[in-house]
Formats: sequence, C-alpha cells, structure tokens
Amino acid sequence: MKGFWWKIMGAAIFLYVLIGGMTVPLKPGITAVSPNHTYTGRQAEFLIEGYNTRFVSGGRSRVWLKMDSTHALAHAVAEAVDENHLKASFSLPATFPSEDQTIPLTLIIDNQEDGVFVQPNAVFLTRDTTDTGPSAEAWLQGRISDLHYPAGIKFPYRSILNETIRNTFFHVALWFAMFILLIAGVYHAVCYIRTHDIDHDTRSSAYTRVALLYGILGLITGSVWARFTWDTFWTQDIKLNMTAIAMLIYLAYLLLRTSTEDVDKRARLSAAYNIFAFVALIPLVFVIPRLTDSLHPGNGGNPALGGEDLDNTLRLFFYPSILALTLLGLWMSSLLTRYERLRYKWIFKS
Amino acid sequence: MKIHTKILNFATILTIMACHVIPAKAAGSESLDFLRSTGKIYAVVAVIAIIFIGIVIFLFRLDNKLTKLENQIKNEQ
Repeated sequence: MKGFWWKIMGAAIFLYVLIGGMTVPLKPGITAVSPNHTYTGRQAEFLIEGYNTRFVSGGRSRVWLKMDSTHALAHAVAEAVDENHLKASFSLPATFPSEDQTIPLTLIIDNQEDGVFVQPNAVFLTRDTTDTGPSAEAWLQGRISDLHYPAGIKFPYRSILNETIRNTFFHVALWFAMFILLIAGVYHAVCYIRTHDIDHDTRSSAYTRVALLYGILGLITGSVWARFTWDTFWTQDIKLNMTAIAMLIYLAYLLLRTSTEDVDKRARLSAAYNIFAFVALIPLVFVIPRLTDSLHPGNGGNPALGGEDLDNTLRLFFYPSILALTLLGLWMSSLLTRYERLRYKWIFKS
Repeated sequence: MKIHTKILNFATILTIMACHVIPAKAAGSESLDFLRSTGKIYAVVAVIAIIFIGIVIFLFRLDNKLTKLENQIKNEQ
C-alpha cells in the first residue's frame, strides 16, 4: 500500500467530483417569457416558462417587473399553469421615467420552494402613442421584499449554459491540470540541463506527454461544449486558435523526440525545446486572449472567471477536480516513466 | 518537392471537404438535438465520455508498448 495513497486519493476525489457534479441540481431559471415585448398603458399577460421551477408545489409565486434599482412595478400574484409554467398579469402604467423609447425590464420571481430568481432583459417595454411623457409614478410602488432564500447547494443557472455549467469541473479543470503537468515537465527539463541526469529527461517527457493528452482532450471537449452553447464546433475565438497553436508546438516536441536515436542528444534537444514551448505557451494562452475580445470568461472584455460563472457552490467541486485530474495525470506519467526506465535498463544492458 | 505537393493537395482536399460537409451537417443536425434536451445535460455526458475514452486510449497504448518490451526481453533470454 506504500506509495499508493495519492493514487487512491486521486481516484476517490474524481469519483466525488463525478457524483457531486452530476447530482447537485441547478437553481431555478427562466427560459422564456411570451410576449417579450409590449407597450405602455396596456393590460399584459405574460406566460413564463421556467427551468427546475416548482410553481405549483412552491406555493404562491410573486412576480415583479423591475426597471432599475429604484423603479419597479407592484408585484402581481401569478397563476401557475404547471410546475414549469406561470401566468402573470400586469396592468402596465401609461408611461415610464426614462427618455428612451424602449426600456428593458428585469423579471423577478419569488416563491417559498424556489426562492428568488431573476431574468434580466426579459420584457421590453415601448412607449405607446398615447404616452404623456416620463413620470415615475406607479414605478415607485414595487417594493421587492420578503424574499425567500432556500437552504442547500445548487449550481447557478446561466441562460445559455444551462446544465453544461457542470463542464467547468471537467473541461476547465482539465486545462488547469494540464498546466500543472507542464510545469512539472519544464522543471525536469531544467533539471536535466543542470545535471545531465537522463532520468530527468525521462520524467520531463512523461509529464509533457500526459499534459499533451490532457490538452488534446481539452480541445475536443471544448469543441463539443461549444457546439451546444455557441452553436458551432469551432469559433474564431482567439483563445481557441491560440491554444491550438500551443498544442501544435507541443506536438512538434513529440516529433523532435522521435527524430534521433542518440539518447543524450535527444535529451538535450528536447529539454531545450520543452523550455521554449513552455515560454511560448504563456503569451499564447494567458496574454494574447486577454488583449482582444473572447467568448471565454476571464478574457477580453469579460471579467475574470468568477461571479456567476464560478460561484462558491461550483468551487466545491472545481478545485477538487483540478487536484484529482492532476493526481491522475501524475499517476499516468509515473507509469510512462517506469516503462521508459525499464526500457533504458534493458537497452544499456544488451 | 514532390512530397510537399502531395501534402498541399491533401490539405486542400481536406479543407474543401470540411467547407462542404460541416455547414451541411450544421443545417440538418436534428440528430444532434437530443443533446440539447433536458437542459443540455447530454453535452456534459459527452464531455465526460471523451475524457474517459482519452484515458483508455492512453492505457491501451502503454499496454502495447509494455507487451513489446516484455517480448523483447523474453526473446533475449
């Protein structure tokens, strides 16, 4: 059992991530509101379609239409059609306190079971021809209070992501683990250059190989994820293309290693190339995508990975997932290292 | 020179094929729509399956290499 504990730990943590990451439910969300466009001074009935909602068993649902932090309409008591459908009637005021022709309204729903959840820009309100001009009256009556916050962990609901937010534990963690393995690889490459001990070369190449496997899997899984969120397998997104280039640079590392039979020459060449590839990877993956716009969180005009994209409930599984994938990667590379050591032993003996 | 032309030709053919096949597939992708049902949970299942398959391929290749080395050592003795 000695020396096995971290392998078992890696497998156990990954099992925890798999089970927890797949069974924790998503928070309720709003998928559609119809009509999503209306005019002032009318009686409007909205049919709201929810996801993971309990409109029937959750008791009385209250619905607000909010304009901004100080202006909201008095809540309407909604009528549940079924667990996922809700009808809410509003008599819209004759005007709204804004100079714009059309304003977006945020829909807020609250009930005992689901708690409070919101959908920004759910309804667009346009000024009717009979509108008398901006006035805040009727928009100051909506007091959004007595909200429910049910206990228990739930992952955030994001409108395009839906359930695929769980891919954070697999696709994103895979990249983090890849990066840790690459650091291990480049560390041993430096060690080889300093000591000329062939064992460092063996370990360096094993870490880099497994990291490359993770990188390729990361590209494929990202492509599948993109198909169901961004509607295409491959986009012109800067991060995708730059990462693909980085992966090609590392593929050249594998080619380089097969190019010569001389063990010492190969070790020297690949150690130097490994350091070069790692140095090239940092601007390609971490710097360039941040300079332009990107669909990935944490790049371009987007805020860093955080907020609703990575809240504390997701962190409960995201960080363990990085640890588990790293341990599994170290396990795989230790198998490769042991194979290479055996082979060297046999080559040098004969 | 010759091998370069061959690679170039192959790359061109691949690109042309990709340009024709991928949009056609995207247009008639009802078969993929089940992956969107129930909040796209099957996209998560697909991602986990890909990672699993990748690790299995790695193990298979290592297994093959080990078998070869074992045979070499066995033949030597």
